[in-house]
Amino acid sequence: MSDGKRMARVSAATHRGMAEQIFIKLRECGITGGHLAAGRSIMLEDKKGFLGVGARSAIVEDPIEIISIIAPTEMESAVLDAVVSAGRIDIPGRGSVHSEEIVLLKAHELCVEQPRGCVSGQQGGAQYIEELMGICCIVQRGQGDAVARVALDTGTCVPAITFGLGTGVRDKLGLLRIAIPADKEVVALAASVHDADAVMELMIDIGRLDEPGKGFIHLFPIRKGVVNTKITRGMPKHAASIEQIISALDQIKGGTQWRSRSGMAADGVSSRRKYLSGLSGLSLICDEGRADDLVKAAMSAGAAGATISRLKHVRPQDSPLAQISPARELCDMIVGEQQIPAILAALENAGAFDDKSHGLLFSKPVPKACTFLG
Amino acid sequence: MSNQQQSGGKIKVGFKQAAAMLFPYAKSRIVEQIKSVALIIIYLILFQTVVLGIAIAQASLIAVGLALVIGGLAFFMEGLLLGLMPLGEVIGLKLPQKSKLPVILGFAFILGAGATFAEPAISVLKAAGSSVKPWDAPLLFLMLNKFSGYLVMSVGAGVGIAVMFGMIRFMYNISLKPFIYILVSFLIVFTLWSFFSENMRNITGLAWDCGAVTTGPVTVPLVLALGIGICRVVGSSGSGSSGFGVVTLASLFPIISVLILGSVLSSSVPPPMAEKEFFSAANRDKAEKLFDSREGMLGYAFQNAKEESQLALFDGDRGKMLEYVSGLKYDVDQAAAVFGAGAEAMQKWAALKGTAEQQSAVFADKSATLAAVQKFSSVMEEPLRPSELMLRNIKAAAQAIIPLSIFFLLVLTLLLREKLPRADEVFLGLGFAVIGMMLFNIGIEIGLSRLGNQVGGKVPSAFKAVELHEQRSAINGFDPGIVKTAISPAGELESFFYVKGKTGYSQLPFKEEQHNPETKQYNFTPTRGPLFGAEGALSGIIVALIFAFALGYGATLAEPALNALGITVEELTVGAFKKSLLMQAVALGVGVGIALGVAKIVWNIPLIWMLGPPYILLLIITKISTEEFVNIGWDSAGVTTGPITVPLVLAMGLGIGGQVGVVEGFGILSMASVCPILSVLMVGLMVTKKRKAALQDNAATERAEVAA
Repeated sequence: MSDGKRMARVSAATHRGMAEQIFIKLRECGITGGHLAAGRSIMLEDKKGFLGVGARSAIVEDPIEIISIIAPTEMESAVLDAVVSAGRIDIPGRGSVHSEEIVLLKAHELCVEQPRGCVSGQQGGAQYIEELMGICCIVQRGQGDAVARVALDTGTCVPAITFGLGTGVRDKLGLLRIAIPADKEVVALAASVHDADAVMELMIDIGRLDEPGKGFIHLFPIRKGVVNTKITRGMPKHAASIEQIISALDQIKGGTQWRSRSGMAADGVSSRRKYLSGLSGLSLICDEGRADDLVKAAMSAGAAGATISRLKHVRPQDSPLAQISPARELCDMIVGEQQIPAILAALENAGAFDDKSHGLLFSKPVPKACTFLG
Repeated sequence: MSNQQQSGGKIKVGFKQAAAMLFPYAKSRIVEQIKSVALIIIYLILFQTVVLGIAIAQASLIAVGLALVIGGLAFFMEGLLLGLMPLGEVIGLKLPQKSKLPVILGFAFILGAGATFAEPAISVLKAAGSSVKPWDAPLLFLMLNKFSGYLVMSVGAGVGIAVMFGMIRFMYNISLKPFIYILVSFLIVFTLWSFFSENMRNITGLAWDCGAVTTGPVTVPLVLALGIGICRVVGSSGSGSSGFGVVTLASLFPIISVLILGSVLSSSVPPPMAEKEFFSAANRDKAEKLFDSREGMLGYAFQNAKEESQLALFDGDRGKMLEYVSGLKYDVDQAAAVFGAGAEAMQKWAALKGTAEQQSAVFADKSATLAAVQKFSSVMEEPLRPSELMLRNIKAAAQAIIPLSIFFLLVLTLLLREKLPRADEVFLGLGFAVIGMMLFNIGIEIGLSRLGNQVGGKVPSAFKAVELHEQRSAINGFDPGIVKTAISPAGELESFFYVKGKTGYSQLPFKEEQHNPETKQYNFTPTRGPLFGAEGALSGIIVALIFAFALGYGATLAEPALNALGITVEELTVGAFKKSLLMQAVALGVGVGIALGVAKIVWNIPLIWMLGPPYILLLIITKISTEEFVNIGWDSAGVTTGPITVPLVLAMGLGIGGQVGVVEGFGILSMASVCPILSVLMVGLMVTKKRKAALQDNAATERAEVAA
C-alpha cells in the first residue's frame, strides 16, 4: 500500500514442469505468491539434410514456463539463489533468471508480500552477471522467431517468447477492430550492457520495427542474472562445450565486457535512427477479465496502448492469497514518466485496486525504445 | 488514418478506410480456408477425371458448393474464435469461482446432453445404416429406425456424463490416464461379450461410431474453451496445456451408453434370420415390433423384400396379397400408412418395384402401367430447390448454435451474475458462426458430398467393376435382334450388342433383366473397372486402400473442429507445439484408419479384430506418454470425424460395402478415431524423447561439474 516503494522483481525462464519445484523452494524462503506464464524458447539445431542437401541450422522450439516474483529489495539475492538452486539454472541450457529494480506504485493490500523468511542467500554458489541489459520486443504474431533469432545468431542468449494481445488504436474502432489482428508475440532476452545496443539495432533491422505497425522494442535495466547461453542443441564435439567455456571465462574475467563486439550492427544505420528515451514501463497485474476496462481507463489518462498477456497466480490454497483468483492478466504499457501520476489516478478511479481487480501497479525505467515515429 | 474524428473515445472510419481494413482481413481468412480444403478438392477432382476418366457431373453446381464450403468455413472459424470460444472460456473462468460442485456438474450434464441434441449425428448414422435389413440385423434396424430417438437420448446421456466427469477431473486435477484405462478395458470386454450375441454383434459398429461422431464442430471448441477456462482458475501450479480431455470422455462414454441401450433392447427383438422366415406367421408378431405399425412393416416389405417374403406376410396366399394391394387404392389413409404420404407414393412403388401382378392390381390397364413406368423411371434426380435448401440449413445451423449460446449467456448473467466481456464481439462471432455453418452445410450438400458420392462410390473400381449410376441411360426402341453372342476361352457364352456413342461404336453386355420388351426400353448402366489387375485382385485392393488413405488425410486437414483444437494447442504452448504438426499427425492417423476401415469392409473382418489390437496398443502407449500428450492425443480422436470427413468417408464406405455386399458401413469412422490417437501419441513420444535428451545432455554437464 505504499507509494513508490522500491522492490525487486525476479523473472526466470525454465523448462516446463520445473516451476512447481521452484515455487516450493521459494515458499521455504517465505515467498508464498508468484506469477507464472507459458512461453516458448528457441534454440538452433543443425540439420544435416539429405546427403548434405538442405543442411542448415533450424530453429527448434521448446515450451517453457516464465516465473516472476516481486519481493523486497533486501530479499533479491535470496530469491535469486532459491530459483537458481531449485531449477539448477546455473547449468547452461536449463534456463535463465534475472532481477530488476521496480517501483511499486500501488497495490491491493493482499498483493504485497510480507515475507518472513530468510534474507540472505543460503548457498551463494551461483555466479551472477551484473552487466546485463534486458531487451523486450513486441511484434505481430508469427514474427517472433525471426526477431528472436537475432539473439541466437549473435550468441547472446536463448530468448523467451510469450503471447500477448495488443490494444490501442484498435479498440477505438468499434466492431471494425476485429479486422486488425491483435495477437502479438513478446520476445524477451538479456544481453550484456556492452552488446545490448547492437543487438537491439539488429532486431530493429530484422523486424523492420521502425516501419509502421511492425512493433515496439525497448531496453530495460537488469541488476543481475544468469543467462542461458546454450543456443544450440546437440551433442558437444569437444571436451567442453562453447557455452561452458564462455561461462568459465565470464567468471574469470568477472564480467562480459571481454566478449563485447562493436562491429555487430550495420554501420551508419544507428546514427540515422531516432530513439525514444526517458520513458517508463508501467505494468499492471489484475484479475482476469478486468484488463480491458482498466487499460481503457489508462488510455483515457494518456497511455497509448497496452500489451495484455495471461498469468497464472500461484499460491498455496491455505494462504490469504487464495482469495485472489489464479487467473490473472498482465498489462504492459510504455508511457512518459510524467504521465504516471495521471494514469495511476485514473486506474484508481476505475477500481484497479479494489476487491474485484486485486491490482498491482509497478514501473521500471526504459532508457531506450524504438518504434515507428510517424 | 488522417481524418480521424475523436468522439467519445471512438474513431469514426469512412467507408473507404473500412473497406481497406476489411479486405485484407477477409482475404487472409479465406486464403487460409482455401489452403485447408485445397488438398481434398484437388484429390477428388483428379481422382474422378484422371484415374477414373469420367467428367464431373454437375460441375458448375459443385463449384458453387465448394465456394460456399470455403466461405462458410472462413465465417465459421472466425465465429468460433470471436464468439463461441470466448463465451465458453468466460463461463469456465467464472463458474468454479462462483458456484458449488453440484451446480457445475448440473451445468456440465446439460451442456453435454444439449450439445448432442443440437448437433444430431443421427442422420449420419442413419445414412451409414441405410442398407441395414431388419432380418439381417434386427436390433440395429430397430435402433436406427423406430427407436432412433432412444439412441439419440442414450448418446446424449453418455456425453452429458462424460462432460460431468471431465469437470470433476479439472476440479480435482485428476489424470486422464485412469479414465482411459478403465473405460477402454471395459469397452473391449463389453465388445468381446457382444460378439457372442448375434444381435449385439451387429450394433458394436454403431456404438463405436456413435462415440466418434457425437463430438461436432460446435461442441468441441465450446467444451475445449470451457475446460481451459476452468483450468485457469483451478488446477495446480503448472502452466501446461490442461483443459483437454473432455472430448476423449465424450467419445468413450456414448459407446458404453449405446451398448447398454442395445443390451436392454436386445431381449425384445427376434434373432437374425432369413428374409422369408422373418415375415412368416411364426415370427410376424416379433418382427412387427421393429416397425411403427403393421402397415409400416407391410410397406417396408413391399419396398425392400423379395416377392416370396411379401407372400409370407399373407401366409403364402398370392390372391390375398393382390386383394390387399388393390384394396389400398380406395383407402387413402391406409395407403399412406403403407407407402408413405404423397398421392403418387403407391403408384411409384408399383411402377418401379412392383411385380407385373401388383402393377395390374394398382393400375387400371396396361397402358396406364406403361405410362406410369415411363413417368417414374425418367425421374432421375430430385430437382434442387434453393429456398428449401436455404431454409433447412439456416434452421440446422441456428439449432446447433443458438440454443447452446443462449444457455451459456443465461448461465453467465443469471447464475453467475457476470457481464459478458467484449459482448459486441461475441455476438458478432455467434452471428458469424451461424452464417458460416449455414453456408458450409449448403456447400457440403450441393458440392462436397456430391463430389464425394461421385468419387467415393467409385473407389472400389480399382479392384472390381463398378456401375456408374449417374451415367445411367435408356435406349428407346431396343430391338433384341441386334444382340450378338460371344464366347470366352473357357467356352462360356455371353451376349452383347453394339451401341453408337458420341465418339464411335462400343460394345455393351446384354442383360435380360434390363430389357423391358413392353416399353421397348433397354436401361443400361455403364461400368468401370477393375482398373488395376483382375476382378478382386490384391493389387487393385491396395490401390483402393491408398485412395482411401488420401481421402482421409485430405479431408481431415479441412475439419473445423480439428483446426480449433490445433489453434488451442498452439496458443497454450505459445507456439512450441505447432498446429501444423498436430494436424499432420492426426491427418496421417485418420488416413491410415480409413484405409484399415476399408480393409475391414473389403475382407469383412470383424470389428473386434480391427479395434481390439490398436486399443490395447494404445493402453500401453498411453501408459508411457506424458499427461500432456495423452490429453491432446486422445482428444484429437474425437475431433477427426466431422462434417467434412463423415460424408466423404461414408460415401466411400457405403460404396465399397454395397459393392462387396456387407450388412452395414459402420466401423470405418471408429477406425478413423483410433489411429490418430496412436499417431499423435507417437509424435508425442518422439518430441518428449528429444527434449529429455536435451535435458540429459545438460545433466551430464552437471555431473561433470560435480565431479570436478
